Amino acid sequence: MDEVWLGILLVVVLFALLGSGVWVAFSLFGVGLVAMELFTGAPVGRVLATSVWGASNSWALAALPLFIWMGEILFRSRLSADLFGGLAPWMGRIPGRLMHVNILGCSIFAAVSGSSAATAATIGRMSLPELTKRGYDETMSIGTLAGSGTLGLLIPPSIILIVYGVAIEESIARLFVAGILPGLVLVLLFMGYVVLWSLMHPERTPPREPPMPLKQKIWQSRRLIPVVLLILGVIGSIYIGIASPTDAAAVGVFLALVLSWLSGTLTRQSFVDGLMGATRTSCMIAFILAGASFLTSAMGFTGIPRMLAEWIATPGLSTYGLLAALTLFFVVLGCFLDGISLVVLTTAVILPVVEAAGIDRIWFGIYLVIVVEMSQITPPVGFNLFVLQGLTGRNILQVAVAALPFFFILVLGVVLLVAFPELALWLPEKMAQMQS
Amino acid sequence: MRTFLDRLYSLSGAIAAAFICAITLIVLAQVLANLIDSVASMVLGAPFGLVVPSYANFAGYFLTGATFFALPYALKRGAHIRVTLVIQALGPKTRQVVEVWCILVGLAIAGFFTWYTFGLVAASYRYGDMSTGMVAIPIWIPQGALVLGGAVLTIALLDELVVALRGGTPAHERANVGILADVSEAERDTDAGRGGRG
Repeated sequence: MDEVWLGILLVVVLFALLGSGVWVAFSLFGVGLVAMELFTGAPVGRVLATSVWGASNSWALAALPLFIWMGEILFRSRLSADLFGGLAPWMGRIPGRLMHVNILGCSIFAAVSGSSAATAATIGRMSLPELTKRGYDETMSIGTLAGSGTLGLLIPPSIILIVYGVAIEESIARLFVAGILPGLVLVLLFMGYVVLWSLMHPERTPPREPPMPLKQKIWQSRRLIPVVLLILGVIGSIYIGIASPTDAAAVGVFLALVLSWLSGTLTRQSFVDGLMGATRTSCMIAFILAGASFLTSAMGFTGIPRMLAEWIATPGLSTYGLLAALTLFFVVLGCFLDGISLVVLTTAVILPVVEAAGIDRIWFGIYLVIVVEMSQITPPVGFNLFVLQGLTGRNILQVAVAALPFFFILVLGVVLLVAFPELALWLPEKMAQMQS
Repeated sequence: MRTFLDRLYSLSGAIAAAFICAITLIVLAQVLANLIDSVASMVLGAPFGLVVPSYANFAGYFLTGATFFALPYALKRGAHIRVTLVIQALGPKTRQVVEVWCILVGLAIAGFFTWYTFGLVAASYRYGDMSTGMVAIPIWIPQGALVLGGAVLTIALLDELVVALRGGTPAHERANVGILADVSEAERDTDAGRGGRG
């Protein structure tokens, strides 16, 4: 049978399985099984067993449950209150005032957590009531949270980058470091937008609170010290090369436990809740990765990715054209699929195409994460929207409208990344030089 | 029977959680060994050469244990993500039929998976395959997690199938608050937090 028809059939099978509500991991296994059973003579069961075993016992992937656990512990600690209390006194002079606490709080929490939903939830549950109480514009408060919550994916540690790195066998440390600058650029873009918006709508920002003497401001900021130390310890040790991401994650879990014990939030109950939450989430993600690795092997047998790559490599489509097409494709798909499924499907099918087009794997990972960030705030399926829906009681469409400007800022972020690839590539190069 | 099955799922969840703790501990031990060594080379001029034998391999094996033992537990708690967009729009009758279809697909794949991973383990056992590294252990031991986890997952899906065919709501649906596990967690927690603050 022609490979084109085979490809189309498999896409139909995939969407039928996913659309009918079959669990994502099982859908991936299912498509792989259909592809191999119908179109190859290879021993399906043996390929399945060995690819799953190969994908599941990995030192690099061991960072996944640990970073998730660390986020779970901090989510249950007093960290969100500390971040709010430490940041708020400094925001009085910037137009938009406390709305910047959402953005900075999210970016700081993003540096200790790898999940965007957890980031939005942790910062939001503290800042939303505070902002509403002070009379800040609700749409803007929700939008800033939904938008900057997505930074959880880009600013290291990042669950998505672990998944991507393990799936394509690329250094997770380098991917993490590559995410730092683009993350900071997005923070600046988000803050810039809030400044502009506030200058245009001065009547919608509540008056400034009585300024605090400098001494008191600095005293208030002591509450940021533990989290800053945590970030420096975890990300810093990866950057200077004394720790692999897995080492850093284990230390992160330990420090998070100490931090939560010191602040008196570590109880038997919160420990068990955090651990079991991490167990479930990491199992879910690792099982999807197992399915994806089988699908990748199955795809290799069918030859479809190779065909796609050859087709793309024929002249006519520029790299920019390819990226524009991919972005559009991901944004549409991201409306219905979650980020992790998006990433594993990409690595199973599209990565050979990307490499054939001469695009750097590390750069593409960062690009993919920003696109996935968009999918977090597009309805009907966007996890940050669900979180804010839960926090505010607004319906998902209202939340989505509030998040829309931030969606466009992310688009701008992708454009900047394409225009200046060094944003993602400069730091990893520096790191390689420093470590050699 | 109900109690027995629920205990089985909780037990497999607890084993998985223990594996995650084990990963943390073994990696921390290695980090500590590195720290002591770097202090030693600064003070004494030479490191002790401390190392946790095969720690990277063992962290990987523990991860396999954590992932596959957690499968049935995560299923029952609705942690495995799925696209609910279409099925949410269905009427209760159709929804029940689609739910049975989903469980059947899962059951077929879980059964297939368990059977062939058993084949893998049996082959490793027969040929006496050992792991590589300083501490070599028979490789069928960590691989066994795939089979055991797969088997309990198959049982859990059978259990869900029986519930769904009897017209009840399977556990994975009752637990399914959000789609991503940490979202449903976050929502549940904030709801609880609100209730607590009154």
